[in-house]
Amino acid sequence: MSALRTVAVNLLGLVEHPALGGSPYRIDRDGRPYVPAGDGGIVLGLQLGDSVFGLAADHAAPGACLVHPDPASRHALASYACIGNQAWVRTGQAAGARGAVLGQRGEEGRVIVGLGQADLARLRPGDEVAVRACGQGLRPPGLPADVAIMNLDPGLLARLPVELPPSSPPGDDAAAVTVGVRMTVPSRLAGNGIGRPSVGWDLDLQLPPPGPDGAGDLLLGDLVAVTDIDARYNMGYRRGWVTVGVVMHGTSPLPGHGPGITPILTGPAGSLRPRPDPVGHEGLTGAVLKLQ
Amino acid sequence: MKVTTNADRLVRQVLAGEVWPALADRHAYRVGPDGQPFLLPGMGGVTLGVHCADPATGYASDHLEPGASIRHRDPGANMALQFLTCVGNQVRVTAGPAAGALGHVIGQHAYVLVDFPEAAAADLAPGDPVTVLATGQGLSLPDHPAITVKNCDPGLLAGMPGGTRPDGRLEVHVAARVPAEAIGAGVGMISEYANTDLMGAYQGLGEDLSLGLEGLRIGDIVALADADHRYGRGYRAGYLTIGVISTGQCLLFGHGPGPSTLLSGPAESFWLVDDPDANLARWLHPQPEAMSAVPAPREAR
Repeated sequence: MSALRTVAVNLLGLVEHPALGGSPYRIDRDGRPYVPAGDGGIVLGLQLGDSVFGLAADHAAPGACLVHPDPASRHALASYACIGNQAWVRTGQAAGARGAVLGQRGEEGRVIVGLGQADLARLRPGDEVAVRACGQGLRPPGLPADVAIMNLDPGLLARLPVELPPSSPPGDDAAAVTVGVRMTVPSRLAGNGIGRPSVGWDLDLQLPPPGPDGAGDLLLGDLVAVTDIDARYNMGYRRGWVTVGVVMHGTSPLPGHGPGITPILTGPAGSLRPRPDPVGHEGLTGAVLKLQ
Repeated sequence: MKVTTNADRLVRQVLAGEVWPALADRHAYRVGPDGQPFLLPGMGGVTLGVHCADPATGYASDHLEPGASIRHRDPGANMALQFLTCVGNQVRVTAGPAAGALGHVIGQHAYVLVDFPEAAAADLAPGDPVTVLATGQGLSLPDHPAITVKNCDPGLLAGMPGGTRPDGRLEVHVAARVPAEAIGAGVGMISEYANTDLMGAYQGLGEDLSLGLEGLRIGDIVALADADHRYGRGYRAGYLTIGVISTGQCLLFGHGPGPSTLLSGPAESFWLVDDPDANLARWLHPQPEAMSAVPAPREAR
């Protein structure tokens, strides 16, 4: 594919208000009812670098979720917004505050925006936030032909632990992308999000908290690799493939759910090589995004 | 199945629905595993020529729903219809050219899916009203407290082979065993609604997509490894879920033939018998009338 220039589009989101049905309860994986605090809207005190297992919350994201009252506009917002895109508050007491897109969530579509904690505290559901959406269609030079990239601001790639090979012929062993990740997760733990498009949706990982039975800790903003998942279009099982995503919401008590990743890279394992580092990994951080 | 149940404590409710049309949008195309755009029928309406014991895959179709796809017009009533209707429940066509025809529920897929004899299905059309005799939610097995029963007509359970073994485990006959890697769209949803799509059953596509599930048939009883469907659908090592294949061929990636949930619990609570004949057709088809004649299930303890 020839490298066409990406286009930027200003989109409008409204800060979400959490919504519940007639019953406040959801049922967790052990059959216990719980009230799903933190599922959408503005979540305070949770930042990139915090553990996904740290709060008694459901799908809590480190910042504010944006939506749009028109369903088609909402899907467009979630599909075109990319990690690292600029966002700025246009109305309300936080007007003028600047932040960045951290990822998106699926179903009806939500964009998660990271802001400084002082700005987040002034934000109110219904406030207007503009997003400079740019990145879908990105094709950076050196990316192997069989690796796809999505959901990433063109300027952010160089600030993530992603090493593109020098341009070389297809099939050349040197022509692989290496990506630093916190951990590699087997596809059987891929949960809600399977079968859905990799743009506009996230993929939940059914990970237990750290402990004797669990893996190590996982932090918001970490990059994670999932084996045997092809995320070029819809996300699904394909033996020998790898998908890498950015963790952008915390865990969930719901069965089939867990911390979620926004996919950024997918390809055959020969061309996309995760390099797990459970201790020293640094993925998407507040410093990378220049959040206060 | 020779097992003690609380069937005599269950209520039966008369529910209403109608054959629901197939739905599409103006963009038409969806996307297959290799990025192939496709436009294929299968969901909604009345899908002819595919019944229990027929192959689930191998059709030019997407999300194939055998027989009639049923909903209720009112959103709340529809959720009640989808939640309360169980596999094996009897369905009667209430009006229209096929009035009086009897079918049975084979699963849920955001529609209630009803298999009718082909002659009756041929006379059915969207809008035709049907009456569902709903019973089964709340069914439990006092001798197997670790096993949760869902979406299962007590008559269906009574007709299945197997039952309580001398060692206390529940013997279940299954036509296929499904690895956890196959679990696709539907994971994370509640287990009384829609079903779990199985990946790895794409006929005629690459080996890298196969999980050996191309031989599934509509109505097959299958065992899902490491799946806990007691309170929704999720991964849990050491658990097992028994389902019935209620939908067929898919081309949409991450989707596939789907089992509706019937039983779920710790794997050690079950004793599986591999049985190619473990299919709804053996107990329900082609004479769904038999369901109404199923004797009252065994006494509760």
